[in-house]
Amino acid sequence: MTSPTASQAGEAIIRRSGSDGVAASPSRPATQEVNWNLRYDIHLGATWSRFMDGLRQRKLLANSCASCSRVFVPPQAYCESCFEPTAEWLELPAEGTLEVYTVAWHGFTGGPTPPYAIGGIRLDGASTLLMHHVVGVDFDSESDPKDALPFGTRVRAVWAEERVGHVLDISHFEPAS
Amino acid sequence: MPYRAVVSGVGLTEATSPRKQTLSSIELCQLAVRRALEHSGDAPDRIDAIVTGNIDGFEGTVLGAKHLTRLLGIGSTAPVVVVNTGGTTGGNLMQVAARMVRSGTHRVVLCLGGPTFFGATDLQSAINTNSPMIIEQPLGMGAYHMGAFAACAYQDRFGLTPEDLAAVVVADHAKAARNPYAHLRNTISADEVLSARPLSAPLTQAMVCPVSTSAVAMVVADADTVRSERASGSVGRATRPALIKAMGMSADPYLGGGKGDFARMENLENLARRVYARADIRNPAEDFDTVELFAPYAHMQPMQLEALGFASPGGGVELIRSGATDPEGRLPVNMSGGPKCTNAGVAGELAPYAYAALQVMGDAPAEIQVAGADRTLAHGTGGTFFQFENLAVFESLTRSN
Amino acid sequence: MESTSEPHLSVRPILPVHVVGIAATEFVTEHDAMLDELVFDVVYRALREAGLRKQDLGLSVSASMDVLDGRSISSGLTNAASGGYLSDAFRVEGDAGVAIVSAAEAIASGDVEVAVAVGVHNPETTGDAMRRGRFLEQVSNLAFDPHFDRPVGLTANTAYGLHAARVLAVSRMRAEGFAALAASEISRSAGLDRSVRRRGATAQDVLDSVPVAWPLHELMLPAHSAGAVAVVLASPARAGRCVGRDAKLTGLGHSTGGYTWTGEWLADPGAATRRATRAALATSGASARDVALAEVSAPTPHLHQPLVDALGIDANVTVNPSGGMRSNFPGLANGGLRLLEVVERIGELPSGSIALSHSLDTITGGVAEDATVIAVEAA
Repeated sequence: MTSPTASQAGEAIIRRSGSDGVAASPSRPATQEVNWNLRYDIHLGATWSRFMDGLRQRKLLANSCASCSRVFVPPQAYCESCFEPTAEWLELPAEGTLEVYTVAWHGFTGGPTPPYAIGGIRLDGASTLLMHHVVGVDFDSESDPKDALPFGTRVRAVWAEERVGHVLDISHFEPAS
Repeated sequence: MPYRAVVSGVGLTEATSPRKQTLSSIELCQLAVRRALEHSGDAPDRIDAIVTGNIDGFEGTVLGAKHLTRLLGIGSTAPVVVVNTGGTTGGNLMQVAARMVRSGTHRVVLCLGGPTFFGATDLQSAINTNSPMIIEQPLGMGAYHMGAFAACAYQDRFGLTPEDLAAVVVADHAKAARNPYAHLRNTISADEVLSARPLSAPLTQAMVCPVSTSAVAMVVADADTVRSERASGSVGRATRPALIKAMGMSADPYLGGGKGDFARMENLENLARRVYARADIRNPAEDFDTVELFAPYAHMQPMQLEALGFASPGGGVELIRSGATDPEGRLPVNMSGGPKCTNAGVAGELAPYAYAALQVMGDAPAEIQVAGADRTLAHGTGGTFFQFENLAVFESLTRSN
Repeated sequence: MESTSEPHLSVRPILPVHVVGIAATEFVTEHDAMLDELVFDVVYRALREAGLRKQDLGLSVSASMDVLDGRSISSGLTNAASGGYLSDAFRVEGDAGVAIVSAAEAIASGDVEVAVAVGVHNPETTGDAMRRGRFLEQVSNLAFDPHFDRPVGLTANTAYGLHAARVLAVSRMRAEGFAALAASEISRSAGLDRSVRRRGATAQDVLDSVPVAWPLHELMLPAHSAGAVAVVLASPARAGRCVGRDAKLTGLGHSTGGYTWTGEWLADPGAATRRATRAALATSGASARDVALAEVSAPTPHLHQPLVDALGIDANVTVNPSGGMRSNFPGLANGGLRLLEVVERIGELPSGSIALSHSLDTITGGVAEDATVIAVEAA
C-alpha cells in the first residue's frame, strides 16, 4: 500500500498514450479541454424581486431591520447582526457619496471592456454600500485617478433607457454637481 | 472526553506556474501526502479521515475530491469531508480536522490542499462567478478588483504611496527567494514593481499573487497518541508536534457593500481578539515568534498586521519598512514568502497553517526556519471581498505545558 | 492500492450532544426563494424552538453545493443566514449528514456550547420535475472524473441503474419484488405531511412509471424535493437550559465509498454505510441489538436490503416509517430530514433502545458516496 511516486505515475500515463496502446516513445504530458456549460435560473426571492421591480420604475428600494437602525440597499431578507427578519420598506434618493472605487485596467473573459471604474456608493440614508460603475475618472494611467474624481464625491444614479429589472437598469453613477 | 490535537506532519511540493508544471493535480497531491506521512512517520493506513477542499466553480470539476482522494495511496475507504468556503477553504481545513480529533471520533486526520487554479483559462473570469450574483457580479469584478477596493480606501485614509506597496513586495520576494517551495523566487526591485503593468488601481501585476501549482498536506493527530508513539519508538521519526492551541473563524456579510469600512480589517480585528484570548496572548508583538499571513496583494499585509495588533492603524507599512518583519527582525512575517509569491488556491490557503506549524516543529526548510520558534500564528482569508477570516495559534507542547 | 479489508477503527467514546431544535421548510418541487432566505427561515425557527438566539451560536455548519446553487462559494451568500456573521462558520460541499456530524464534533470537542447544522437544496433551475431532473443529472455527470467517466455519460441514475441491473443478474430477486418494495414505501407515507408523493402506488404502478435507467423506473427512485432543514445542537449542560426538543446524539459515523474502479459500489454497496455504522456504534458504546428504529436512505429498492444489512439491524427494527427516500428526498438536506424523522419518533421507542439516522449523498450515485450514520437516544 505504498503510494506511487509522482514520476512513476507520470510514466504510467505516458506508457498508455501511444497510438498502438503500448507506447514506445515518451510524449509530453498533455492537457485536455474540460468545461462547464450550465444554465441557471436564479431564484431572486421576494426581497430582491421587489428591488429589481423598483429599478424598472427608477426607484431605489431599501429595507430596514426592526430591531436596529440599519438600512439595507440592496435590501436583505434578514439583518445578519440581529438575526431578525427585516420589516420596513423605504425608497432612497438616487444620490449618495462615492466612498471608494478602483479602476479595472484589465478585464476578464465575458466581463465589461476595460478600463472601467467600479465604486462603492453610500446612498443617502443607507447603512450599506451599493457597488456600481462610476464615470468621471480620468483613464490616463500615468495620473492618479483620484485627481479627477476624489473619494467622497457626491454622485447620482443615471438610469438606463431600457430597464428590465436588472442591476444594470442603473447605467452608472456620475458626479452630482 | 475531549482530546488535544497537534500537527504531526507536513508535506509541501515545489511550486511553479501552470505552464511549467509537469505533474498533474493528482500527482501533486500524491506527492504532498507522501511527504506529510514521511514527516509524521505514519503508515498510510493510519489515516482515519481526509479533510480537503473543492472550489467547484474554479476547478472545472464538481467535487473533484470524490475521485482524487481515492488515488492518494492511502487506500480507498477513508471518510472524506469536502469543505468549500472559497478562498478560506484551505484555512478552514485544519480547524475542521482539529475538531474531528478533539471530539474523539478520529485519531489521525489528513488535511489536503490541491492546486485549485490549475487549468482555469481565465482565472479572473472564474472568480467573477463568486461575485454576488445579480447584484455585484454584472459589474465585472474579479479577485484583484475586489482586492483593489481595500487598497484604494487604505491609500486614501493613510496616504499609502505606490512606493510603500513596492516595499512590501520587495520584502516578500526576498523571503520567497530563500524558500525552496516558493513559486516566484526572484528578488525584485521597487522600480520593477512600480513599472509593472497596472491591473486594478493602485495595484500593478507585481503587487498581486501569481497563479501557482502546488499541493500541501498536513497530518492532524491526537496529542497523547502521538506522544506515546514517540515514546515507545513505534513511529520512526521523532518530530516535535505543534499543538493547535487556539483557532477561530469570522465572517462579514455577503455583499461587498455590507463591509462598511474598506480601510480597516474590522472582521479580522474582532477575530484576533477572540483567538488571542483563547491562547492567552496579551502582547502579540512579543508573544509570537513568527507569523504566516494570507496576503496575496501588497496592501493586505500592512492592513493585517494592524488588525492583528502588531502595528497601529496606518502603521503597518512602517513596521515592514523598519525591518522588524524581515528574517532577522523581531517579528519575522511570512518567512515562506507568503501567497504574494506562491498561491495555488486551496493549497495556498493551507500553506500559512503548514508553515506556521513547521516553524514550531523546527522542521521548516533551514533557510526560512526561525531559530527556537515555539509559538506561531497562521492566518487565512478569502471569499467575496475577503469576507471570511481565520486564525490559528500553534505552540510547542513544552511551552504549552 | 485498493483495500477491501475493514480498516482499523480508532474512535473513542464521545461526549453526548443534544438536539434542542429542528426546523424544516415545506418540501416542494421548487422554492421561489433565494437560498439564504430558506437558510435563514429554518435556522431562525430552530433557534427559537430551543429558546436560543444567534448570539448563542458557537459554530454554524452549512451543507450545499456550488454547482447546484448556481454560484461559486455559495456559502458566501448563505453564511450570514446560518448565523455565521462575525462568528465561526464553514460549509461542507455535500450532504447535511456530514454537516451535522461536524457540528456535533465541535460540541463533543468541548470547543462550543451551541452549534447549528443546516442543509439547503433548491437547485437554481426552474421548470417541471422533468427539467429539474435533467439538470440534476447534468450536474451529476460533472461530478464524475472529467477524463474517463464524464465523457461516457455516467450519472447518478445510470450508476444506480448499473447496480440494479447487476442485482437482477446475480440474485434470484425479480423486478416485481423491488417494485412492490417501492410501492409499499410510497403507499405507507402517502398521507404524511412531509411526503412529496401524495398518492399510494401499486407494484404495477411502479413498473408502469417512466423508465429512467434500465431496470429503474421513476417511482423506484428518490422523490426529489427542494427545501432546507436546520438542526440546533447543544452540550448536555446547555441543553438543560433550553426549551424545545431533547434527544441525544450518542454516536457519530461517516464514511466515503470507493470510486468506480474498485467495484465496491456494485459488489458491496453497503460498504460505506457499514463502516459508518461501525464508527457510530463504537462512539456510542451501543450495539446493533439496541437499535429499535432506523431511517434508511436507500436510493433504489435494490439498495434497500444491502443498506439494512450494513446497518446491522434485524427484522424487529422499525425501518422507514416516514417512507424513506421514496417519500421525500430533499437532496443535500436529506441528512437533516432523516434526523428529523428519527427525533420526532424517539419518544415512542422502548427505554434503553436507540435509533439510527442514515443518510447518503446521491451526487455520483453509489460511487464515492458519503454515508453518515448517527445514533440517537431519548434524552
